[in-house]
Amino acid sequence: MNTPAIRALAAAGLVLSLTGCASQFPADPDGTLERVTGGTLRVGLSPNGNWADMTDGGEASGIEVTLVEEFADTIDAEVVWTEGGEEKLFTDLAAGRLDMVIGGLTDTTPWSEKAAITKPFDQVTTDDGATRKHVMAAAMGENAFLVELERFLGSQESAP
Amino acid sequence: MTISFGHTALPAKQAEILKKAIRLEWITIAFLAVSVTLVFLVLGNSQAMKAAWIEDLLSFIPPIVFLVAVRVARRKPTVKHPYGYHRSVGVGHLVAAVALVTMGSFLIVDSASGLLAAEHPSIGSVELFGQVFWLGWLMMGVMALIALPPVFIGRAKMKLARELHDKVLYADADMNKADWMTAVGSIVGVGGIGLGLWWADSAAALFIAGSILWDGVKNIRAAIEDLMDMRAMTFDDAKPHPIVDQVDDYLRSLDWIADAGSRVRDQGHVFHIEAFVVPRHPREITVTQLDEAREACVDLDWKVQDIVIVPVPELPDVVRDPRVSSHR
Repeated sequence: MNTPAIRALAAAGLVLSLTGCASQFPADPDGTLERVTGGTLRVGLSPNGNWADMTDGGEASGIEVTLVEEFADTIDAEVVWTEGGEEKLFTDLAAGRLDMVIGGLTDTTPWSEKAAITKPFDQVTTDDGATRKHVMAAAMGENAFLVELERFLGSQESAP
Repeated sequence: MTISFGHTALPAKQAEILKKAIRLEWITIAFLAVSVTLVFLVLGNSQAMKAAWIEDLLSFIPPIVFLVAVRVARRKPTVKHPYGYHRSVGVGHLVAAVALVTMGSFLIVDSASGLLAAEHPSIGSVELFGQVFWLGWLMMGVMALIALPPVFIGRAKMKLARELHDKVLYADADMNKADWMTAVGSIVGVGGIGLGLWWADSAAALFIAGSILWDGVKNIRAAIEDLMDMRAMTFDDAKPHPIVDQVDDYLRSLDWIADAGSRVRDQGHVFHIEAFVVPRHPREITVTQLDEAREACVDLDWKVQDIVIVPVPELPDVVRDPRVSSHR
């Protein structure tokens, strides 16, 4: 290859090393983890059986709700729940109005184009013998937040 | 056992080099199989990693083309294929080049649209040996690991390509030599993601895609020019092949020949030559003289495979030696 290409590469390396003063690695382009730590964690909830549900009075419950609240405790965050259909929630997540979405999602979710899908925190076998790995969704590209969440989910007893 | 390309029996040195080249290409394929698997395992959502992975996949084509082409080119000419099978090298060269251009263009569109849509690549964590860490570290580690070996393989192949006069081997060596830039490019991309620069990944992917496209365009040009019977060039297309002048000079040195000029096309490894000669005394040339001149030319170099000598009253314009300006 030619010298302009080598120069471009060197310049790119220089830019990276100059901006390399980020406090976290990986860092969030939009600073999610920094903002939610000690602040509010905005979670979208799509009701789905035992995983996540919400009463008319706005009381969230379910396996995933408990997990999210435990996770929020580890980073000293207050959870703010938003109930809705999946399309609305994932649109909000992509637009940065939510930090994460739960609702009995599995690793085969079609929403993987719009959100960062976490590692599974649970694995269940359905009546027809299929294995379903349950996951949560975080905002795209917020990698510090994603890694923090996955660390928590991965440490669960139920994690495969 | 003598190894031959069509009718041409390879000299011992070239036969040895061919064996080395075949062994190196198998080593390349083995290395690629390992690196493609490793990169696939850590691919994640990085566009730069995807581009690097596709480049690795494409790197399989030149060694395979080389191995197939040298096998096919060895066949003896037949009545149906009177020129032999040397063109298999040119055909393989073109196929490899078209694959590079196609994938390079696809990746440029793919990466640019990601950049325009401001897609933020997500790279999560990975658990390895009981440790949970960012998958990006693993990606950068794998790319650093596979960055250098192709450079050394490429350098070794380059030497062999010169001796064998094999343009597919040359193109392959040239790509291998530049391979480290792909690896460094994807390390920069993934490192950029780590620093929170979402665009670094697509930008690095664009850089890699650009280099794939550039390789393709360069090779398509070279392959097409050979298939269009451009005059024979050296293995790296840098300058006209010296054989042409050697043949002309030899023929001019014969005392029954007043002037000579040849048309040489590169068949792959070997050349087909039409040598036009202007006899001093047109009525006195004999079949023996022509045949001896032919044999002597074939002995000049193993690459002179088929040569026909045609006595003419005056040299055709296309073979006139630019060094001699005394001709009209």
